[in-house]
Amino acid sequence: MNFLSDFGVFGQTILSMLSDPLTVVLLMGSSFLGIVFGALPGLTATLGVALLTTLTYSMNLETALVSLISMYVGAVYGGSYPSILINIPGTAAAAATAMDGYPMARRGEGGRALGLTTTASFIGTIVGMLALVAFAPLISDAALQFTSYEFFLLAFFGIIISGTLTSKDLVYKGWIAGLLGLALACIGRDRLQFFPRFTFDQSQLDGGIEVVPVLIGAFALPQIIKTLRDRMSLGKPQDIKRMLPEFGAIVRNFKNIVRSALLGIGIGAVPGVGEDIAGWVSYGTAKNSHSNPENFGKGEPAGIIASETANNACIGGALIPLVTLGIPGSPPAVMLLGALMLHGLTPGPMISITNPNFLVQLTAIMVLASLAMWINGMFLAKHVVKVLRVPASVFLPIVAVMSVIGSYALGLSIFNLYLMVPVGIVAYLLGEMDYPISPLVIGVILGPMADENLRRALMVSEGSVAGFFERPVAVILIIAIVLTILSQLPAWQRAKGKIWAKLARRRTDAVEAGGGK
Amino acid sequence: MKTFATLCVAALMGGVVSQAQADDYPSRDITDVVTWSAGGGTDVSNRVVAAEMAKFLPVRINVVNKPGGVAGSIGMSYAHSQPADGYTLVGVADSNTTSAVMGGWDQTFKEWYPFLIGGSPDLISVTADSPYKTLTDLIEAAKANPGSVKASAGGSGSIHHINLLALEKGTGASFNFIPYPGSAPAQNAAMTGEVTAVVTSLAEQLQLLRAGKIRPLAMLVEDSVSVDGIGDIPSGFGDYPGLSEYLPIQQTLGIAIRSDAPDDVKATLSEAFGKAMETDAVKKWAEENFYVLSGKTGEEAQKEYLKLESVFSWALHDLGAAKIDPATLGIAKP
Repeated sequence: MNFLSDFGVFGQTILSMLSDPLTVVLLMGSSFLGIVFGALPGLTATLGVALLTTLTYSMNLETALVSLISMYVGAVYGGSYPSILINIPGTAAAAATAMDGYPMARRGEGGRALGLTTTASFIGTIVGMLALVAFAPLISDAALQFTSYEFFLLAFFGIIISGTLTSKDLVYKGWIAGLLGLALACIGRDRLQFFPRFTFDQSQLDGGIEVVPVLIGAFALPQIIKTLRDRMSLGKPQDIKRMLPEFGAIVRNFKNIVRSALLGIGIGAVPGVGEDIAGWVSYGTAKNSHSNPENFGKGEPAGIIASETANNACIGGALIPLVTLGIPGSPPAVMLLGALMLHGLTPGPMISITNPNFLVQLTAIMVLASLAMWINGMFLAKHVVKVLRVPASVFLPIVAVMSVIGSYALGLSIFNLYLMVPVGIVAYLLGEMDYPISPLVIGVILGPMADENLRRALMVSEGSVAGFFERPVAVILIIAIVLTILSQLPAWQRAKGKIWAKLARRRTDAVEAGGGK
Repeated sequence: MKTFATLCVAALMGGVVSQAQADDYPSRDITDVVTWSAGGGTDVSNRVVAAEMAKFLPVRINVVNKPGGVAGSIGMSYAHSQPADGYTLVGVADSNTTSAVMGGWDQTFKEWYPFLIGGSPDLISVTADSPYKTLTDLIEAAKANPGSVKASAGGSGSIHHINLLALEKGTGASFNFIPYPGSAPAQNAAMTGEVTAVVTSLAEQLQLLRAGKIRPLAMLVEDSVSVDGIGDIPSGFGDYPGLSEYLPIQQTLGIAIRSDAPDDVKATLSEAFGKAMETDAVKKWAEENFYVLSGKTGEEAQKEYLKLESVFSWALHDLGAAKIDPATLGIAKP
């Protein structure tokens, strides 16, 4: 009965919104703007939602929400465009997508990669929404059991796994890059006791290293230098004959999609952890459980599906603790909470009493936002691929200018440029020595979280490390970290090979013995 | 000669016109620059009050956000660089008073003539399944075994941290303070049991209290508070009268203009502000979100901010977090 009335409200919300031309324009417009925000390096989903919060203040709540959620969904998806086309992630959330998206574009399958991304993002958003409706209280309770121990281990796991994923020859090089990122993250006043570390009395370094200039410097500059140096073309443009999503690929990747969506929802629901980590962890898990892990990084569609499903599923996940307890699960969700409070609505345990239809309306809006994203995406993918026809010598200088603007726009600080350029040069040199760059950026992103939470965990336990082994989620994370490290060591791989061989032999023996009877 | 006469007439007329303009204040729209991002406490309170103030003025008040810098320094510097004609207001919170010692800008709060909206009072709560049912239980445990009870209160040097320090001084208890980057993670830590006690504002804790995730022990202000669905939260002052020496130190949200603005501008704005604070819209907003309204203006309001500036600046200095010695800025010791 309850369900039926909810469903009625759901349908009603969708119909009433679609029948209002202004709302439809706003829906499509915000979604498009979101994609642009995601695609431009330096502009993020958080910034986009913040900007629209001010602009939508005078609208009624429902209309404002349509605009804000479409922006959020669009921006998380839009970051994949430059990842795939030019190997420069538009947002940190889309960094993992570049791993396989760019090789596909080089191969002339850029259009296919964008199509897959669009569909994966759509499915991710919808599954995230379903989790929000069906399991909100359950997931919220589990996610909020995260304490400093788990936050540290999760951050450390993110760095370790990104190190293993991106090294071409030696796995240690990935970890070295990750540790370099961690070291960079230590710069600035520490967030627990304000002690200045590696600041050399420069007040600009007090606040620490900003992620956006590092992201742009580390990904965009080396890519621009390399492409121009080798006089490479960007990729082969491809005619997209089919506009429909590849149902075959989706069905084949069913398990991958379900796993990625669940990871995205779970990571999204943990407060303070967002889309960027979801993309990496999901990509890593997909690689390790795939039958041909060596194809990852060479243009494997499963890799794109994993990271893009997860980062969009994160949105629904991030809204779960927001709706149930008023605790935002990701940085853009923090802005969303602010917008709701501006409209006189405080999400939390009382919301089902004060605004009984809120959750249903929210899910209806999410469905519309993901549809808008999908339609915009399918339309755009066809045209955006044409960018690859522009000669690199014309296009990349434009990208370079955009990168500089993107870095500067953040806080209008010239210091960000002084940071971006050296990071870019170091990243280029590291790249020449076959060091992967992604772990360095992940290290900078997750470094403060790892550092702060490890120190806080030890403060809480008064120096004892026993706490790491007493909590179930912590133990699972430790096992995951140990297995990830071991699985990369040659000795372990040989040992594993032997064990498998032995087991296989035994089995054949057993079968033969059985056959002899 | 003719030119001179013309100039004289022009100057005279100019004088008359500018006089008339001053009398006519406000003759164009006013901008309120909020120094924190959209949706936060400062922003929402400024928008609610500015909308009501505009009803008593012939012009509109446009609220814009200029967050960033150190403790709102970007917005404050911007508003301070505008003419002192009353057309630029600035939305500030208690923590803006730390901007000077943290190196955000080189002015103190003497530069502002504030209109005080109010703030949400702080309280101390504990993990839902903790054994402490009253403030006395908690304080006695912390006294019996100093440092054994872990407490969080937002970041080091935040208004909630200062409240916790005052609670320690007023009761003689000693907590093991665990710093978090803000109120929300500090409250989450109390919910998971990573820390036992948390001091933040009632507005911030409201949803967790209602969900039963944390249990309220005592308000850190003189009066008890009654909340729907939670019941009465007693004042801590009843059991520990010594608290009144150090508390209350309350969140203070407000609007300000440059203190060198003309007197008639100050009077016009004060009148509109006073009327706005009496409206049902403002009262309803305050009641629903557990804000205590103030309504103080001018020197009286400035005194409150200067007191906060002194308490904050020296507390940060003592924590080793301040970059600039408050003494060099002329900030008196509390």
